[in-house]
Amino acid sequence: MTSGPRKRVPPLTLVKGSSGRDDAPCDSGDNASGGRELNWSILMAHAQAGDAGAYRRLLAEISPYLRSLAARRHRDPADVEDTVQDILLTIHAIRYTYDPTRPFGPWLVTIAQRRIIDRLRRRGRLHSREEPLTAEHETLPTDQTNIVDEMSDRRELHEAVEHLPASQRQAIRLLKLKEMSLKEAAEATGMSVTALKVATHRAVNSLRKMLSRGSGEQ
Amino acid sequence: MTTTPDLIELLAANLTPVRRLRPPMARAATWLALAAAIVALLAIAQGLRPDIATCLRQSGFVMSVGGAVLTGVLATIAAFMLSLPDRSRLWIVLPAPPLALWLSSIGYQCLTNWVSVQPGGITLGETARCFATLVLTSLPLSLALLLMLRYAAALRPTSVVFAGSLAVAAITAVALSLFHGADATAMILMWNLGTAGLFVGLGSIFGKTMFSWVAPRPDLHRA
Repeated sequence: MTSGPRKRVPPLTLVKGSSGRDDAPCDSGDNASGGRELNWSILMAHAQAGDAGAYRRLLAEISPYLRSLAARRHRDPADVEDTVQDILLTIHAIRYTYDPTRPFGPWLVTIAQRRIIDRLRRRGRLHSREEPLTAEHETLPTDQTNIVDEMSDRRELHEAVEHLPASQRQAIRLLKLKEMSLKEAAEATGMSVTALKVATHRAVNSLRKMLSRGSGEQ
Repeated sequence: MTTTPDLIELLAANLTPVRRLRPPMARAATWLALAAAIVALLAIAQGLRPDIATCLRQSGFVMSVGGAVLTGVLATIAAFMLSLPDRSRLWIVLPAPPLALWLSSIGYQCLTNWVSVQPGGITLGETARCFATLVLTSLPLSLALLLMLRYAAALRPTSVVFAGSLAVAAITAVALSLFHGADATAMILMWNLGTAGLFVGLGSIFGKTMFSWVAPRPDLHRA
């Protein structure tokens, strides 16, 4: 069996700086990126041997490159960052599949493309059945929140109720606004149930008149 | 939410030394050796078919078994190559030529042996033994391949499963044609094409799920 290359960890050389961060590692003819790819390959070989410093440096150096790859396919910055993290996790999980005698670029790019496509598919699935919440969908539990039109309707109604005769005002407040039953309202006011019914009926009629007149004037 | 620099710190802190994979050809050879061992053990246990000498003189049989063996070997190599991220995905076409040979030779046999179809020619006992061969060959081979290629779950599960299933199917078909004299063409077709179709089909449907059982996960201990 050919176990020779496995044992050979290249010596840690050429590890000075990280110039030209945002271009592809496999651009042929580019000495800087060629050297950088070799550098990454060496760092990965050390990481496989358990060198945490080399590993940390490798991940920090490839992140901007992965971000630029992800940004070509994703517009949302949160998606780009999530994709970069997916790629880093995959690299961590299958780091033993890298063979340091082969170029690092193709290995990295294949993993990156898989994770980028995975997230695109997930987004596609989400978009096909979910709608993002917009400001109009925002609701809050308290009474005075939400839609402005309802607020003005509410004020108009309260003003109209104020203009009702006292008995009608009381009936409409207890039965409609506080939503009491007829019996409860009768106990609270000392009026009979029939008198309450009549007062409510009259109150609703006069409110209808007042409010329709109000909207007619506008 | 974890930021990327935090994640990098976390991963570096959890770094353990790993053993690199052996070269793909060596690993394919290991798996093929296992397959050969299983077929040999079954040959000892069940015995070769009685008319093996006659069969080996028929060019149709030799072509069929040879095609299946070659398909198995090349599909295994393809599966191991495809499982690595830095290898071309074109490795998937490697087993195509012997696969064509195998399938066409089954068709040829089918034509020449058409007259020998005999109703009731295969007894229940023979069918049961065929089924035993099928399970005893394919099950350990599938499990071994699944474990050996578990890291491919994160990369190209579909094509790896396809190539791997083809390899298992081809080797199972070889075992079946060596051990069981299923002369009826219907049986030959059913066993050869049926097993191939069955494994590739099952692999395509359940491969991803099976991979997810054994797939490596990032070992993060968020303390």
